[in-house]
This record gives sequence, C-alpha cells and structure tokens, in this order.
Amino acid sequence: MVVLNINNVVCSYDSVKVVENVSFNVKTGNFLGILGPNGSGKTTLLKSVSRILKPQKGTILLEDQDIYRLKTVDVAKKMSVVSQGTMIAFSFTALDVVLMGRSPHLSRFATESKKDVEIAKKCMAYTGTLNLANRLITELSGGERQRVIIAKALAQEPQVLLLDEPTTHLDVSNQHEIMGILKRLCTENKLLVVGVFHDFNLAAHYCDSLILLKKGKIVDVGKSEKVLTSKNIQTVFGIETLVKENPITKSVFVMPILTSPQTHNRNLTAHLICGAGTGSSLMKLLIDDGYTVTSGVLNLCDTDQETAKFLKVPTAEEAPLSPISDSAHKKNLALIRKANIVILTSFPFGKGNIKNLDAALFALENNIPVFFINEYPIKNRDFTQGEAEKKMITLKSKGLVFVEDNVCLFNALNNLCFKTLTDKSMSSDKISVPTTLAQKSKGVN
Amino acid sequence: MKLKTKNTTESLEHTRHWKFWLITLTLALFVAIFLSLNLGYSSISLESIFKIFLNKIPIVPNFNVSELESTLILSIRLPRLLCAALVGAALSVAGVTYQGLFRNPLADPYTIGASAGAALGATTAIVLGISFTFLGLTSLPIFAFIGCILAVFLVYSISRVGTKVPVQTLLLSGIAVSIFLSAIVNYLQTIAPDKLHQSQFWLMGSFSYTEWTDIWSVVVFIFGGVIAIYLYSRDLNLLALGETEAKHLGVELEKVKKILLISSAFITAAAVAISGLIAFIGLIIPHLTRLLVGPDHRVLIPASMLMGATFLMLCDSAARIIVAPAELPVGIITAMCGGPFFLYLMRRKKKADVS
Repeated sequence: MVVLNINNVVCSYDSVKVVENVSFNVKTGNFLGILGPNGSGKTTLLKSVSRILKPQKGTILLEDQDIYRLKTVDVAKKMSVVSQGTMIAFSFTALDVVLMGRSPHLSRFATESKKDVEIAKKCMAYTGTLNLANRLITELSGGERQRVIIAKALAQEPQVLLLDEPTTHLDVSNQHEIMGILKRLCTENKLLVVGVFHDFNLAAHYCDSLILLKKGKIVDVGKSEKVLTSKNIQTVFGIETLVKENPITKSVFVMPILTSPQTHNRNLTAHLICGAGTGSSLMKLLIDDGYTVTSGVLNLCDTDQETAKFLKVPTAEEAPLSPISDSAHKKNLALIRKANIVILTSFPFGKGNIKNLDAALFALENNIPVFFINEYPIKNRDFTQGEAEKKMITLKSKGLVFVEDNVCLFNALNNLCFKTLTDKSMSSDKISVPTTLAQKSKGVN
Repeated sequence: MKLKTKNTTESLEHTRHWKFWLITLTLALFVAIFLSLNLGYSSISLESIFKIFLNKIPIVPNFNVSELESTLILSIRLPRLLCAALVGAALSVAGVTYQGLFRNPLADPYTIGASAGAALGATTAIVLGISFTFLGLTSLPIFAFIGCILAVFLVYSISRVGTKVPVQTLLLSGIAVSIFLSAIVNYLQTIAPDKLHQSQFWLMGSFSYTEWTDIWSVVVFIFGGVIAIYLYSRDLNLLALGETEAKHLGVELEKVKKILLISSAFITAAAVAISGLIAFIGLIIPHLTRLLVGPDHRVLIPASMLMGATFLMLCDSAARIIVAPAELPVGIITAMCGGPFFLYLMRRKKKADVS
C-alpha cells in the first residue's frame, strides 16, 4: 500500500503565492483528478509533487519519505510524470522513447537488456502502441504520441503516476481511451494516479475523487457528485452550469449555461405557455434580455418544467403526465394577469394540455398581447381531433401575433418596447399591439 | 507494477546496427589515413608507406626506404593528418553535445562564445607580439585556448540564475558575448593593420604548421572530454524529451549540464588552439551521422568522432592538393564540401519522408 501525503504545501513564484496550504492524501489504486481554472495553481501543485519545484513550506511524503530528501533517480523509480505537451527533439523510434523509461533502473554503464525491452513492449501493448514500436516518434499523431509517452512512464514501473492535462489537444475518442487506460492502471495494477484535467465530465466519469482548486486553495475535495455542484463551479469558475446525472453512465454531467452580459431590468413580465422543451431556451433568452419570466401550465418532469425550476421561474405546475386541473389552470391565469406579454410556443396538444390554449385566449381577452412562435404546423402537433386547430383559428381572429422564430420574436418585442417607451405608457397595465407590427408579423408568416 | 500481456521476444536489433556502423566508419578512417599519406605534392606509394611504418616496429627487419620520404611521412604528413583527425573528432563530439544539450539543430561547438573567445585570444597574442612556449606549445594556441575557455565561462556565469542555467539564456548570452568579442577582434585588427594577414589566416583555420608537440599537448583534453561526455550519453538521450522530463527520469539535470558544458568547452578550446577556427564540421557531422546511425547518443558520439576525423582529414588533404604547391585554408574546403553535401542529404531525406 502506497500513500502519497501532501501536507500544508505552499508554493510561490517570487512573492506571489500560487499554492496555499494544500493538503491531501491519495492511496494505491486511487485515481485523483485536480480541477480548477487557468492559473489556479494546478500545474504548480503537480510540479511540487513531482519534485520539480520545492515548496516553501509543507512536505510531500511518498511512503512516509520526503521526496525532496530522496535522490532524483530514486524518485524516478517510484514516480513517473507525464508532462503537458512533451515534444521530442530528435527522431527516436517509439520503442527507443519507451526504453528511456527504463533509464532510472539502469546503472550509468549499462545498456538495456532483453528484459528491459520486454518490459517496454509490454507497456506499449498496454497502451495499444506496440504496432508503432518502429515508427519515428516525430511522425506520430498527437494521440499516438501521448500513448507512447504514457507507455514510457509505465516502463519506469512506478507506484505513482502524475499527469498534467494528459487529454488536452486530443480528440474525444483518444481522450476516453487514455482515461480508460489510466482507470485500468488504478484498478488492475494498483497504481496511484493523480491527474490535472480541464474537462469536468471526463474527470467525473473516470476519477475516484476530485479536488477543486481556486487561487491555490482547495475549495472542495471528495467524490465527483459532492465536488461538482453548480454552486462549487459558480464559486470557482464563475459560470452558471446545469449539473445533471448522465442517464446512461450515471456519472455527473456538467452543462455550462452561457451567460450574456447582464442587461437592464425591463420591468416587464413575459409569461410563457410552453411544454416538451419548446420553451427552455426562450426562458433563458428572455431572462438574459431583462424580462421577468413566468410560465405554465407545465407538468412536473417536463423538460421545460425542469428548466423553469433551475432558472427559478414562477410556474403553474401540474403532476406528471396528468391533465391540467382547474386549480393549476387558475394559477396559470393568475400569472397571466400579472404579465405584460404572453408567448405561446409550438408544442404538441393533447386532451391533457388543451387548456393552455384557453389560457392564451384569456390573455387576449384581457388585452395582453400574445405572440405565437409558429415553428411547427398545428396539424402535426394536434392530437385532439381538430379541437386545438379550431382554438388556434379563434386565437388568430382575436389578434394572436404570429412570429416565425425566436429572432423575429425579439425584433417584435423590441419594436413593442420602443413604442411603449415613446408613448410614455410604461406605467399602464397593458400594452396594445400596434396594428402595423401585427400586420408585419403576419406578413412574415 | 505487473502488466498482464503477451510475452514478446526479440533481441536488441539496434545494437547490431550500431556495431555495423562503428566498424564501417573505423575502416573508412583507416582508408582515409592511408589515402591522405599517399596524396600530396610529392606522391609516396602505399608500399613505401607500409615500409616506413614497419621500420618503426622494432622486431621487424628494416626495409630500405629513402630518408626524405620517411621524414615526409613521419614528421610532416602523419602529425598533420592525425591533428586534422583529432580536431575533426573533437569538433564533431562537441557539436553533438551542444545540439543534444540545447535541443537545437543549429547549435555547434562555437555556439556559446567559444569561437569569438578563441579569436580574441589569438588576435591578442598576434597583435601584442607575445611569444613564448609552454609545454611545447607556442603562445598563440595557449592564448586561443584561454580565450575560448574564458568566453564560455563568461557566458555560463552570465546565464546562471541561482543554481540553474536555462539553455535559452545560455544561447542568447552566447550570441551577445560573441558579438561583443568579435567587435574587439575587429578593433585590434584595425589598430594593427600589419598583423591583419596573420590573424586573418589563423581565423580561417589551417593545419599547415602542425607538429607532434601540438598533438601531444591537447590530446589529453580532447580524449578526457570525449570520455566524460560519452559517460553521459544516455542522459543526452533523455534530454531530448526536455529538461523537466529528463529530471523525471532521474537525471541530475544541473550537474549533468555543467559536466557536459565544461567537457565540450575544453574539447573545443583544445581543437581551436591547434587548428584555428574551422567552420561547419561541428554543425554538419552530427547531422550527417544522425542520418546514418540514428539519434541515440550512445552510438552517435563514437560514430560522429570517426566521421568527423575522416571528413576533416580528407578536407585537409584536398586543401593541400588543389592548388599545390600552395595551400588553401582547410576551413574553406570544409564549408565548400560540407554545405552542398548537407543540403543534398536534407533534400533526399525530405523526399523519402514525402514518398
């Protein structure tokens, strides 16, 4: 059992502290991932663990021995390091490069024996590079070269393997192949692997535990489900993310949500009548554009409902897979009454959610403009034997504004706001749709 | 760590291929030695050459050879060609070392100020008219040797940051120091125009006045340096992966760098002292040899040594013959042969890569 102990390590360049009081332990058979933004001290930490940069304070113990008190060659026998973007100056063959990994085990005058060549070839077979043995390292592709370099690290027969962004610059299949190799090394060969990564999902899937670094300090450490939370990622990277579980692999899955620069608050409320994922992106766009957004009626577990929940959008909700009840409908109408505009998306209608069209009608009857994003023909999404289609005709006659897509919608909304601003009628409860705009939108349609 | 994979058995093919090249290059060196002894303004037959050598062996009965030929071979041609071989070997090994150390194909023995230092040393001796002998060497080579070593140490100490010597800084300060020293050389030549011809001739490099004492006085430096470098040939291989990588593989980086720099500085200084500045050898021989034997320094170093020795010896013979009875500075020949030949090799390799 090998344990790597990092105790209160402090590293600094000149007077700037890059790593501050970092402590953690890793044991044999464990795969630890270090995550953090650029400049958070990941690489510096790895450098100090790999005996390149002596820390100002703290100790790094491998099997209870301070690595900075061991000889370079003795550390090389126990620990191998895969650095970022290793470039090889001369055209050695791939086998030659892997054989270099045997170097710490050879005395100054010895040349590699048959046994060394055997070890090198086994390591190449392990990383799937044996067929490249006689190729020149300078002629290999990025993925092939990285796997040869990992084979070289394995040829050192280490107990500890450290890697600095081993999958950066590689395509997605090579990334998974390399992570798979590292994972197998931990589980089958009882290696201790520590890697610096940039890809949350890759790290979450393969690593046993993760460390989240910010400005040289550990923010959180533990299993990926514990460490990779929206809140932690917001603190460390300053971006909004949606953290879910990959439905198939069950590992943590982080989806970044692009945030546009915060615009002014428009003091306008838009109510979204949507469902089946047709309103999710629009919700975000409207919020980013300064609207207050409400929505309904949405069934629980519906994609739009999940988005609404995540974006903290007030929503009239109904139980999963259930028809809209009177109470949910009433709640929806209450939300509509508070809204300045209503937007209806092209989602499918069945007996269960037909009431949402009544809600739209309610809005029009109360002089709230209703915009309809006409993306899919009603015929294809009407599962009510023509009832929905009929209601759409009624809505049209009552002044439903047709727009082709989100872009048209925002153009129409901007025109409307501009109009209301010049009319100085912002304070008035309701906004009337200028007929020209309604005409224009119909023309587009 | 144990890996569960199929067992593959194959011997070390490349060591066999190393032996082939080392034997071939050694044979080529001996052929070149006899060819060079044979060629010259007065041609001496190979038979006479063998007789002269056999006469030197005590047990063998004496053959009848002319006194003149014997003197020509043993006191003039032999020391001269051995000196060329020694300098060729030295510059090639120094070139291999610098290219490996700096991971830079354009590095050569003169990269870090060695040539400019030697030139300044020699020019100073010539301009000031200093004349003495020490250990059989005249003042000029001694000054060149000292100048060379001092320049390298100046560059080294300028580049040192704490306990580390970053190679980029070393290369850059090498260039800066070289420019500065060359300016002093030019200044000295300007203020002493009567000595211009002599110093210019030395700067071009030549073996015209070589004697046995020249060889004996530098051979220790050259062989000592070559052996030291050879001991670290595996570390030079690891340095091809980058300095940090080499460290991860157990190389005591700063110590090894220091040993390699000092050894190659002494080799270069010794070579420059007895020959002047001979361009191109230290740059092209390592490349040429790498094309033949591959980049592994364990074979590259001895092979470059043999190759450099053979090449410079043949160049010197050409320098003696082409405009006989006059002579060309050998540096002109090395540059004239080396340049186009190098380009030809490069082109051929490119074609091979494309097809």
